[in-house]
Amino acid sequence: MKYIDRFPAGVYLLDFEFHPIGGVEGNIPMPVCLAVRNYLTGVVLQYRRDQLMQMSEAPYPCGDDALSVAFFACAEMDCFLSLGWTLPTNVLDLFCEFRKTTNGLKPKFGNGLIGALLYFDFPAQEQASKDQMRDLILGGGPWSEAEEKAILSYCKTDVDALRPLLAFMYPMIDWPRALLRGEYMKAVSKMQSVGVPIDVDKLDLIRKKWDSIQDLLIARIDQEYKVFEGRTFKASKWAQFLERNRIPWPRLESGGLDLKDETFRSMAKAHPKVAPMRELRSALSELRLSQLSVGTDGRNRCLLSPFASKTARNQPSNSRFIFGPSVWLRGLIKPQPGWAVVYIDYCQQEFGIAAALSGDEAMMEAYLSGDPYLAFAKQAGAAPANATKVSHKAAREQFKQCVLAVQYGMGEESLAERIGQPPIVARRLLELHRNTYRRFWAWSDAVLDEVSLHGRLWTTLGWEIRVSEQINPRSMRNFPMQANGAEMLRLASIYLTDAGVRVCAPVHDALLIEVTVETLEDTVKLSTDLMIRASRDILSGFALSCDTKIIQHPDRFIDERGEHMWNVVLDLAQQDAPLAASPGMASLAA
Amino acid sequence: MTEITSTNLQQPRDIQSLRLPQNYAETIGVKKVLTNVPVGKPSNTRFFQTHPDAQMEFPTLIYQDKKSNDTFLVYPELANVLERLARPVVLHVAVDRQGNPSFIPVFLPDEGGSRNPWHESMAQAVILSKSKWVRINANRDNGAYDVKVAVGDLAPPQWPDEPITELLKIAFRGKIIDSADHPIVQGLDGRV
Repeated sequence: MKYIDRFPAGVYLLDFEFHPIGGVEGNIPMPVCLAVRNYLTGVVLQYRRDQLMQMSEAPYPCGDDALSVAFFACAEMDCFLSLGWTLPTNVLDLFCEFRKTTNGLKPKFGNGLIGALLYFDFPAQEQASKDQMRDLILGGGPWSEAEEKAILSYCKTDVDALRPLLAFMYPMIDWPRALLRGEYMKAVSKMQSVGVPIDVDKLDLIRKKWDSIQDLLIARIDQEYKVFEGRTFKASKWAQFLERNRIPWPRLESGGLDLKDETFRSMAKAHPKVAPMRELRSALSELRLSQLSVGTDGRNRCLLSPFASKTARNQPSNSRFIFGPSVWLRGLIKPQPGWAVVYIDYCQQEFGIAAALSGDEAMMEAYLSGDPYLAFAKQAGAAPANATKVSHKAAREQFKQCVLAVQYGMGEESLAERIGQPPIVARRLLELHRNTYRRFWAWSDAVLDEVSLHGRLWTTLGWEIRVSEQINPRSMRNFPMQANGAEMLRLASIYLTDAGVRVCAPVHDALLIEVTVETLEDTVKLSTDLMIRASRDILSGFALSCDTKIIQHPDRFIDERGEHMWNVVLDLAQQDAPLAASPGMASLAA
Repeated sequence: MTEITSTNLQQPRDIQSLRLPQNYAETIGVKKVLTNVPVGKPSNTRFFQTHPDAQMEFPTLIYQDKKSNDTFLVYPELANVLERLARPVVLHVAVDRQGNPSFIPVFLPDEGGSRNPWHESMAQAVILSKSKWVRINANRDNGAYDVKVAVGDLAPPQWPDEPITELLKIAFRGKIIDSADHPIVQGLDGRV
């Protein structure tokens, strides 16, 4: 029996057109029209907004015995939620399956519907005309009768295009795991619908004064460095600063300085002088503060871009998403009165995944100790059995950096820079990792052998990467940890949203949830249990532990890495007096 | 608002049945091929252990060519031909902490039952290394090896999968003196 025959009530291809309510980015979508095509009969039904608004449920079968098929289904599911409809039980998202099939191969025309059609040599609508129609719809109307007709026709074009795509892709579809990816798209919609509560008053205040705040931050902090020209960071001047201060800095293959934020972050640890500049650069990277997508109800909502990265992690826009790289901005997250937000993250997720999937018992034991870094130091003979975080702080830090270095695929030079020690110390640490976790390394070598021989790796739930060009050994070795970590968080998102928990957003290896104060304890327990269950499901019984951080109104979410910058920026924003005299500036420079 | 409860979860969701294996090592059959097994005393920077099983010891005769630093295996019937240059030893299978195998020759005592202090201290180091990680260091003032034992609770040694016969084949590939016409014997006799 073909898998598709399991849906006697029918297979339905669907597409909504919509725009954010009031045309405001960050608001939930307002459906404009819906087209549904019966895959077998070819009958297409179309509905305008006024018709949709009168329906209490979807106008086609959505139960256990039917299959809904869409391309990038979270957009369709957003509309279901916006209309108050029950989500379909079974969702097949051809976007997910196309991404899975071509991940790593860089499809020439992108990952959109047009890209997928062209990839398989089907005719497709021109991107320009698609963009034109999209702009017309996002305009929010009112539309002339001709325009409405054009929008309906455009909507039908997309469901028509899904038919040959489904027929062609059918043999490539990884049943039944494809339906689990469809379930995640439903969870994404639920999370996009909840959004993250934002302190809108503070956001407005910072936005209003952001221009002058930036200039003052630069003027004050750059006094010591002299590397900015206006608001431009000059690499040549940074090189001079490094030379003056005898700080060795990583370089790119081209010979230029490596100016990635990640490099600044790791160098700031080894060289405290670098830290204020890293914080300043991070703050300035949010030049497009106005793009932070906050709806009229004060909630940050943006496309979570599921399955966008090679490891299938979500990749929301850095400037639209509150959990972008500028961690200080997270101070804007504030629960409403009577509510709390809770950040639940997996403890040392990558280490735990590596231990469980490789079956390395020493590594699993280290994970289960609750402090894998100290356990590693003990297992390697560098700390006695009774060592604690306090008694062996320095050793623990070195072994922690070694574990992270292995996860990032760093060599001895990079690790040496990170721990501020000569390369020989780093080499010794990496040797200790290899000696202590031999089974992990044998497995990691086998990962590399697998991708070298067959050009493909996969996760426990079927996400794949294919390699067509030269293999990057570091990212291939890391793929099982990253991609299975992504699987774990997807599964956790499904479990929590199914259970009715209000999940605001997924954040790498964590979920931010929103809870009423009355149900706080029970909901946090349930959510943590479900996240642990997801880890067990991915790791064949090995459970990862979770940390929780609870923030109740009127407190706000503060990420300690950005706390100082948040306080300074807020202080500057709240000054009535001229900003240059602000004590906040002095504090930051100090 | 939806009631928050785990009973809302769709049942059954049997994730285990969807799970794909991640045991790459067992599925693709890539095996590291051992191409070199050094013979000699271990370097003074490496900790080593020798295999505790007597089956992993091989009593034999060896000839050490000082010029090339090569060690040759000598057939017993050629002992008289090479005379004192063929030395009776026991080869012990050893590994370092990275799992690299080697043979450590321990010279046997002479007819009187004595050994020079270098050989004696090496023999003691090898005995210790049957159960501990050991490192040796030449102490010229003392005329013997200093033997250092690792005190940490280190990971156990990773022994090679190959049997000792295979390890011997690799270690002495092209380096077996099996007849009086062997170039080494001819050279020692002044025939070439």
